Amino acid sequence: MSFFGFERSNLEQEKKKFSEGGLQETEDLAVYTWGEESYDGLGDALLEGGDELNDETFGGTGAVGKDFDFTSQTLPTPVGTTRGRFTPTAEPFRERTPVVERTEPASKPRDRGLSPAPKSLESIWDDKSPFSMLSRAAGHQRVPSNLMKSPFPPSRSPALNAYADHRPLSQQQPISHGINQTGVRTLQEIEAEMRAAQQKRKQQEEILLQVQLQQELQREEELRRQEEFRVQELERQDLQRLQQENLLADRMRARLEQEQQLRLQQQARMSTPRVVSHLAPSPRFNQQHQHQQQILLLQQEQERQQQERLKELQERLRMEELERQLRAQQLSQLQQQQPNLLARRQSPYADTQRRTHSPVIDSQYALFNQQNTQYMPQSIQLQQRLLSEMAQVEFMRDMQGISQAEQEALRVEAMRKIMETERMEERRRRKAAKIAHMSRYNDLMTQSDKDFITRIQVSQLVTQDPYAEDFYAQVYGAILRSRLGLQSQDERVIKFGSSGGVGLGLAQKGSGRRQSAMQKMEAQVERIVNNARLREKEKGLHSLHSLQGALGKTSGRSYKAAPRQLLQVDASSATISGTHPHISKEDGNGAAQEAAKLGREALGQAAGSDGVVRKDPLTQRQTLVVLEGLYDLVLNIEQLRRDQPLEEDEEDEEAFVSWSATYNDLVEQIWMNLKVMLPLETSDPHPFVSLLTPVKGKKILPRLSRHIAPPRMLTLLTLLVACFSQLDVVKHAALLDSLEETPERQDVERQTQAFLGSVLQSILPVVAKAELRVITGLLGLLLDRTNIVISAQTRPGIAMLTLFLSRVEIVKQGMSSAQESSEIPTPAEAQQWQTMFDHLFQLLMSHFVLLFPSTRLIAQPLPVAAPLPPTDILDQPVWQFLAALALHASSDQQSILVTSLREKVLDIVTSVNKGWVADEEERQTKLSNVNLFLHALGLDSSQISV
Amino acid sequence: MDPSSSGIQEPFDLIRLSLSERVFVKLRGDRELTGVLHAYDGHMNLILSDVEETIMIVDPIEGGMEGQGTVKVAKRKMEMLFVRGDGVILVSPPSRT
Repeated sequence: MSFFGFERSNLEQEKKKFSEGGLQETEDLAVYTWGEESYDGLGDALLEGGDELNDETFGGTGAVGKDFDFTSQTLPTPVGTTRGRFTPTAEPFRERTPVVERTEPASKPRDRGLSPAPKSLESIWDDKSPFSMLSRAAGHQRVPSNLMKSPFPPSRSPALNAYADHRPLSQQQPISHGINQTGVRTLQEIEAEMRAAQQKRKQQEEILLQVQLQQELQREEELRRQEEFRVQELERQDLQRLQQENLLADRMRARLEQEQQLRLQQQARMSTPRVVSHLAPSPRFNQQHQHQQQILLLQQEQERQQQERLKELQERLRMEELERQLRAQQLSQLQQQQPNLLARRQSPYADTQRRTHSPVIDSQYALFNQQNTQYMPQSIQLQQRLLSEMAQVEFMRDMQGISQAEQEALRVEAMRKIMETERMEERRRRKAAKIAHMSRYNDLMTQSDKDFITRIQVSQLVTQDPYAEDFYAQVYGAILRSRLGLQSQDERVIKFGSSGGVGLGLAQKGSGRRQSAMQKMEAQVERIVNNARLREKEKGLHSLHSLQGALGKTSGRSYKAAPRQLLQVDASSATISGTHPHISKEDGNGAAQEAAKLGREALGQAAGSDGVVRKDPLTQRQTLVVLEGLYDLVLNIEQLRRDQPLEEDEEDEEAFVSWSATYNDLVEQIWMNLKVMLPLETSDPHPFVSLLTPVKGKKILPRLSRHIAPPRMLTLLTLLVACFSQLDVVKHAALLDSLEETPERQDVERQTQAFLGSVLQSILPVVAKAELRVITGLLGLLLDRTNIVISAQTRPGIAMLTLFLSRVEIVKQGMSSAQESSEIPTPAEAQQWQTMFDHLFQLLMSHFVLLFPSTRLIAQPLPVAAPLPPTDILDQPVWQFLAALALHASSDQQSILVTSLREKVLDIVTSVNKGWVADEEERQTKLSNVNLFLHALGLDSSQISV
Repeated sequence: MDPSSSGIQEPFDLIRLSLSERVFVKLRGDRELTGVLHAYDGHMNLILSDVEETIMIVDPIEGGMEGQGTVKVAKRKMEMLFVRGDGVILVSPPSRT
């Protein structure tokens, strides 16, 4: 039987083990033996790299006061507890890898210090390179490296050296002892003691090693230096002597020296010349190298001959012999290396490197290295490398007798190369720095960490209705696509059956990286969701969820951004009660009014003979509530439209039937909510007109009208025409004729724009298909129910009238062309229209001029010298209307029209022709306005002579 | 069958009614806004357009009583404004005449 998932037998075993005292081997508990006789010294394992920095931390460099020693006064903790508390940190090391840990601290410093241990003389030279200085700077006060990096310490004996480095540690010991005496030991003290012991042992080993090594090195070094100095001396003497006799040799020597100087500088700054030389190969190397070797050989030969001829002193001869030996050795070395070097692609740098083995250079190099040990920036180093290359090339050319001009060209070329290389180097370094910066946190997270976070993120993205959640991005994407003429999938959504999905937002275009990232994300999301589902299934199988909540509830919603819902108003209670607590007062008012109304109805005033129930017009809030309902409905129906199953698909027959049932239901609800079918006399304004009052009411109409059948739209249009004067845009249109900028005027302007843009747009297709008798009826209704003179002075009115007239004009044109008999109205209908038109003309006849907003504006009492706004744009619809009117008018009516508008037309034409209008655009507008009207009469503004 | 009976279930539904309508917003720090409400959220963050902000600045009179001072009114207009919800005291439809 298991309890909480633990195996009972295990517990038993543990207990047994514990009682037997076998704990130390198996249990991962801190068993502390430090300071006891049986202490195995494993605490030393604590010492790892970087301890030399402790000297700073623990004040190894100077006398340390005791002012920090608070523990001795305030915390008289027994030694045992302190130990027990702190030591577990050290113990795990022992448990895991005691052997390795113990050996490591000893071997590590040795590795660091002695790894460049000299196998040959050359490696000692290498160690003197600036990089070895650098490594000293990094691991400062490190004993072995300190000894290694200065192979020629003339004054310091190795023993002294070692002592000097040991000093800071020996200074630490008194401190720890001092604290020890108080009987309170902190972690730091223990650490210090442990470290001191470790350090002592290590240092003893190291000092022994170093002393041996140092002595060996120095012996070798001394030998070599003596040799080299002598050789150098000899060479110089030779040179001086040979100057007169062998000019060529001298010149070569001088050149070589100069060049070598450069090279030496460069090498002194190069971190590891050998490596660099292999990194920058060039095919030129071999040839040049051979050439130079020949020169050197020639030199040697000449020198030898000279010496023999002059019969030098015995000692000198011996030195010469030594030099020869050295050279021979180097030559043989080179020859050994030759095939190897050939195999790689070789470089002048490698060449320079080889040439430094000539004795002169070697000695100079050694001298130089001693003097110049500072690290130089890489760019300078590079520049010098290039300079030396240039010098070398120059030298080669010089030897071969190449003209000055060519040299100059070469130099320029070299300079250009230098600059270019520098630039490249700079760019490379910047790139490397950037990459290094970006990769600072590489591999901080494991793949499972990343997966975990991705899962959390994705789980936030998954929603029940991905399209609605991503609505704006989806719709915007659809608009963009349609504008670009692209036909792609309608929804960018990943769906997971019925459970939900993820909205993907806009389709990514352009950069391929983001595209692929999106695809990757999609794939990942799908994988994660599938995995989650599988897990869910498995869970179901194993019925693990029966244990869910056994350990208490967890709050799962902590990551949700939404504020906690404190008020939970039950939706059903609101509908049951039928009233709102928020607006109870108003309800009281409403009830009173309702009662009053009932009283009136009882008196037979309100109820007409046709049984119409009169109501109060919708209040502002009622209107808004209905509109919100309509918006909900329209969103639903639009969503439904998107989910429409394919009609032709036979399998989906049932789905389609149910879908269309839902759809029709929604359409019916919309129609009901629009309240178009309520009788005209229900209220003033009519509920439908009330719905059109807010801007959002006007704007929703085009979205609704898409779903409403044409006959119903015609009904809607009829209602709109019948209630035209009730519209806010008609009622408040007079405000637009004022020049004052008031918020009200702005509001009316906004409403008018919305009406023209939305409401008229949605009824336009209805009018465009209407038959003549329908138009006649509508016009009749308009004339009957509204004051046409006032309506015609509003922009919606003018627009509506123009709409009717132009539709009739089209019908008339169709009549004359006689395409389809069904469309041709009967003569009776035409007669009716004519009567109606005559009526309209009659009504408007004396007010034509007043139709123009410009005329009405001038009639206004002007505020002090306010400049007239450009009225020609405002007048344009009126000119259009008048043109349409002129087309329908009989010749009598036309003459009336011309007579009444004569002044206006002449005004405009004169002002245009006499150049009173400065603005070309305004001039054009004025002219086109007038021509619009005149063309309808068969005239043109150019015919008018002023 | 009262049309207004549906729709209002929580206080925010009242703000919803004012969407794309002109609203009056009272803010902390003696500020008031009127503008067309375009969007809101559960924090009462608002997006308004065509906004006029009215800021009351009380200049205390030197040596005067506590609470005395001249009130200056500064106004400014903005095309579009995001109002952070933590400053909102009330949102209401503007009083209609």
